Amino acid sequence: MRVERIDESVKVRADFQGGGITPLLFRRGSQDYRVSTVNARWEDREGMQKLLYFSVTATNGDLFQLKFHAGDMLWTLETVTLDG
Amino acid sequence: MDDEAPPGGRIILHLDIDAFFAAIEQQRNPKLRGKPVIVGNGVIASCSYEARRFGCYAGQRLSEARRACPGVVILDGCEKTYRAFAARIFELAREFSPAVEAYLDEAYCDLTGTARLHGGDFLLAGRRLKRLVRERTGLDVTVGIGSSRMVAKMASKSVKPDGLFQVAAGMEDPFIRALPIDKLPGVGRATSEVLRRLNIRTIEGLRVLSIDHLTTLFGEPGRFLYERCRGRDTQPVIVREVPQSISRETSFHEATIDPAEISGMLYYLTERGVKTARQLGLKARTVQVKIRYTDSGSPAMSRRLCAASDRDEEIFELARDLLGRLHTRRESLHGIGMALSHFLIDGAGQMDLFDPERGQRLDRLYASLDRVRDRFGHSAVVAGKSISLMGRLEQDGYGFVLRTPSLTK
Repeated sequence: MRVERIDESVKVRADFQGGGITPLLFRRGSQDYRVSTVNARWEDREGMQKLLYFSVTATNGDLFQLKFHAGDMLWTLETVTLDG
Repeated sequence: MDDEAPPGGRIILHLDIDAFFAAIEQQRNPKLRGKPVIVGNGVIASCSYEARRFGCYAGQRLSEARRACPGVVILDGCEKTYRAFAARIFELAREFSPAVEAYLDEAYCDLTGTARLHGGDFLLAGRRLKRLVRERTGLDVTVGIGSSRMVAKMASKSVKPDGLFQVAAGMEDPFIRALPIDKLPGVGRATSEVLRRLNIRTIEGLRVLSIDHLTTLFGEPGRFLYERCRGRDTQPVIVREVPQSISRETSFHEATIDPAEISGMLYYLTERGVKTARQLGLKARTVQVKIRYTDSGSPAMSRRLCAASDRDEEIFELARDLLGRLHTRRESLHGIGMALSHFLIDGAGQMDLFDPERGQRLDRLYASLDRVRDRFGHSAVVAGKSISLMGRLEQDGYGFVLRTPSLTK
């Protein structure tokens, strides 16, 4: 199992209903990745800014970690976990 | 010590996050669920229950663990993520108790006086807390409830993982006496081994030894064992934690002999440790530095400061001196660490006799620095002494991304 850092800004379609955020789909380059499962979510802070992290599995089976910076409303694709 | 129990007795809830780091990794990555998982570097920091079935345990060398459990998944871990999960869980615990004493993966919650809030049923409160933690974080916790911290912890230890158990008032003695000796808080592997050689296997068996025998065998901790095996523990839940020590250590990404990198890392670790002490309102009197050579040997040295301090510069001056005395071989280092101990509560320190204003200026400087870092992240200000780390290590809002951060539990 190998974790690769990506740290790229990505566009994310997310559901902001019910006081929570659920990423549904993200676009990296020209490819769309549909989120099949949100495995875990947690919060952290960078100074006073709230950061929301999501471990998600895409429909193709790949595992990604997304970060939402609540201060500037930006999404970052942080890592991808690869088998082997 | 708080010897006076309120009417109806004290009620303490002990919450323990099961296989903490490993459980979070299994939560983040569903492919790891049901598999043996270890988090650690060099030694096991945490292992899943699947790995424990193969005999793996915290503190075990990874090389041994690999032999015991071929195919185990070993991860470096991410301390920042673990802290975030723990903070969320302890936040939930605070909804149940006004006084929560939290550590890295466990917490004591004082439920005394909350009978009306919980409808008089503390077991139900424990069940609700477990369910809430499961819903919000996906993690399992074990909950033990008893009339003291010790009984609550022993209750939770006896039903791990994912258990819930309350020792009813008046049932403490029958509960404690029959338990195996290693269930008694303070009895680790080494103590347990000594007692086993004396054919003492249960807590009741330990009661045969006098306080003199126990202090001869184990030194000062023997006194605590004498009291604890009789179920005596009146220690209150302390919301404001005054730790025995605050330590920061790490491995280098690559072994190094570069004095600038070694000194820069020591300064960075010192900054982080001293900032934690300042946040807790503590001044350290003793500083320890330890290094890890690549071949073998991990020498450590500690010394007292002239006066208790919570200033980076003063503590680093001593730490750098200790480093110079420790790193005497022309051999690269694999890791480095520092620890602060023998704390004084802030305000109890000694004033500077000749230039009291200098001390006040420094205090104002550190207070401002802490405010800037609290607001914009630690990386907002990098001290000149650790500038050698820039470019070598990645930075995030928390600071430099260390290979194996190891924090005080």
